[in-house]
Amino acid sequence: MPIEPDMAETPHLLLVDDERSIREPLAKFLEKQGFRITQAGDADAARTRLAAYAIDLVILDIMMPGEDGLSLTRHIRETTDIPVILLTARSEETDRIVGLEMGADDYVVKPFSPRELAARVKVILRRAATGTRQHAPESGSYGFAGWVLKTGERVLVDKHGVSVPLSTGEYNLLLALAQRPRQVLTRDQLLDLTQGREAAAFDRAIDNQVSRLRRKIEADPKNPEIIKTVWGGGYTLSAEVTRL
Amino acid sequence: MKRLALWPRSLAGQMALLVAIALFVAQAINFGLLLRERRQLRFEQITSPAVTRMADAVERTRSRPDFAFDRGPVRLEPHNPIAPRMQPAPDVEDALRETLTEAGVALPRIEAAVHVIDGRNVRIETIRPRHTARIIRRVGAELLIAVEVPGRGWLVQHAPWPRGGDASIIWRLIGQTLILYAIVLIPVLWVGRRISRPLRSLASAARDFTPGNGETPLDERGPGDVRDVIAAFNALRLRVNAMLDEKDRMLGAIGHDLRTPLAALRVRIESVEDDADRQKMAETIAEMNRTLDDILSLARLGRPSEPPTEVDLTALVDAVVEDFRDLGDDVAFAESDRLTMRLRPSLMRRAVRNLIENAIKYGGGAEVRIDRDAAEVRIVVADRGPGIPEDRLADVFDPFTRLETSRNRETGGIGLGLALARAIVREAGGDIRLANRNGSGLDAVIALPVRG
Repeated sequence: MPIEPDMAETPHLLLVDDERSIREPLAKFLEKQGFRITQAGDADAARTRLAAYAIDLVILDIMMPGEDGLSLTRHIRETTDIPVILLTARSEETDRIVGLEMGADDYVVKPFSPRELAARVKVILRRAATGTRQHAPESGSYGFAGWVLKTGERVLVDKHGVSVPLSTGEYNLLLALAQRPRQVLTRDQLLDLTQGREAAAFDRAIDNQVSRLRRKIEADPKNPEIIKTVWGGGYTLSAEVTRL
Repeated sequence: MKRLALWPRSLAGQMALLVAIALFVAQAINFGLLLRERRQLRFEQITSPAVTRMADAVERTRSRPDFAFDRGPVRLEPHNPIAPRMQPAPDVEDALRETLTEAGVALPRIEAAVHVIDGRNVRIETIRPRHTARIIRRVGAELLIAVEVPGRGWLVQHAPWPRGGDASIIWRLIGQTLILYAIVLIPVLWVGRRISRPLRSLASAARDFTPGNGETPLDERGPGDVRDVIAAFNALRLRVNAMLDEKDRMLGAIGHDLRTPLAALRVRIESVEDDADRQKMAETIAEMNRTLDDILSLARLGRPSEPPTEVDLTALVDAVVEDFRDLGDDVAFAESDRLTMRLRPSLMRRAVRNLIENAIKYGGGAEVRIDRDAAEVRIVVADRGPGIPEDRLADVFDPFTRLETSRNRETGGIGLGLALARAIVREAGGDIRLANRNGSGLDAVIALPVRG
């Protein structure tokens, strides 16, 4: 996948992982994908490199001996605006949530597909470039029209406290809408916002997902009050959204 | 051994019942002895002299036929004074008969009865007013012995008789026993409860013991022996939790140590030029990773971190199906009504996902539906595969067996995913059943009980 033409300069990534067996082949792969890579084997080295170079994005392993990835994430977030993608193992689920709350932009679960990682790096760099990037996309809950979307646990809870599980695609779509209430989001924007989180659900039509969501949350799915269609535009969440 | 219906199950109840029975038996023996003694005493003091006097009188009617019987305890009366309502005293009759027989007297008609005096017995008062009044005051009853003197009437003797027969002894037995019960059983019950209450809470703590949820240790209450047991249980619980913590740490380490080389491998295969080869390798690594996940989940299931919540089960199954459809798998879900159940949503998602994964792997696709009746909710995952031979249906739950005959080794283990799914469902109080559908596929059913 070539770098898009509007990114004239080669993005400079800092890759921090104590495992050379992962770090080195990954660096090689990402270089082939058109990134400039600087490597660091621990948090101290990472701090030095961060100070020395103009880094565009940090890929950071959570589990490292010495200072761990979470602490380094906090440091990066406190001192700079550089996006962070975390590498985690599934057993570190709480770490992942904490990491996102500390301001990491995204995470991938080991073993991950390097192509997917590269795709996410590009998405985040593009969002950073266009100013649509947001920190901590997964922390907290969103309340709207009697529903609560709990991002930590990734469930939708109705006004009686009953959890309504969502598919990955539905969840990503609803999260994207809830984070931008009363904004009209085109199908392209929604596709862009909902991809790059987990591998699933890229090519299912947004319309299909919207109608599934409506069946779950609208009183009358035929006359939607919450997720409204904007003619010629896209969709919008027309309810009042409160961050909980 | 069949349990008696009235036999109490609790310690205090059993102690109380045993003590009550023992007390009753002891009381009954005591009163039996007392009764015998009383009868003997009565015989010596009343019956025996009365019989002797009567026997003398009978003999006198023979030796001195003109004797008037107008003085002394035995009188001659024209009629038999014993009324049918009086309580017969056969033992006295027998004793008199025996005495007369020994004296060689032909047996006349003999009757004896106890007459309870109610204070208005005019006839006795007229005969011996002062004496009788004393008798009545003291004993309240008299023994009447009547012997027929043919042609002259009846020889009659009144003797004082202690009030209250054997029946009153029974009442006294019952009364005394009740008083004893009150005095003895209350402390017994108290001690029994003092022992059994901490034991009961110990039993429920042991029954509800879920490792690792940091409960406070059980109060050490009750007598010393019971305290020791509770202390030992608390220590055991700490040890079990420590072992489980150790196991979790080890599993975490194993997971990390296996994932790191898997991740390295996953990165390195990107340098493989052949797209098809690389794709296969990626799938194998993903499969290994899923198996690793299943092993870790199965091992951790004993202490789930996720609390049960009210969940829309229909939406849960629908969401899992939707995720498969997003990946392009042939999975269909029959629309059903909303159905709220209390369960751990992530684990149940995992169970449903594992069943659908198997259906796709071995049956090419799945049709999922939810059936419900009064007793249970069934999530039915129906595939169109070859099914499983009837005699192997139970084996597939064994985590590390695989049906080599009909299942391709390359496609991975059916066993582990199914074992995990069953462990999850059983933890939720249900079970998984497998059934062949007349040669047209396999039905894998998650049955969950409906709570009232």
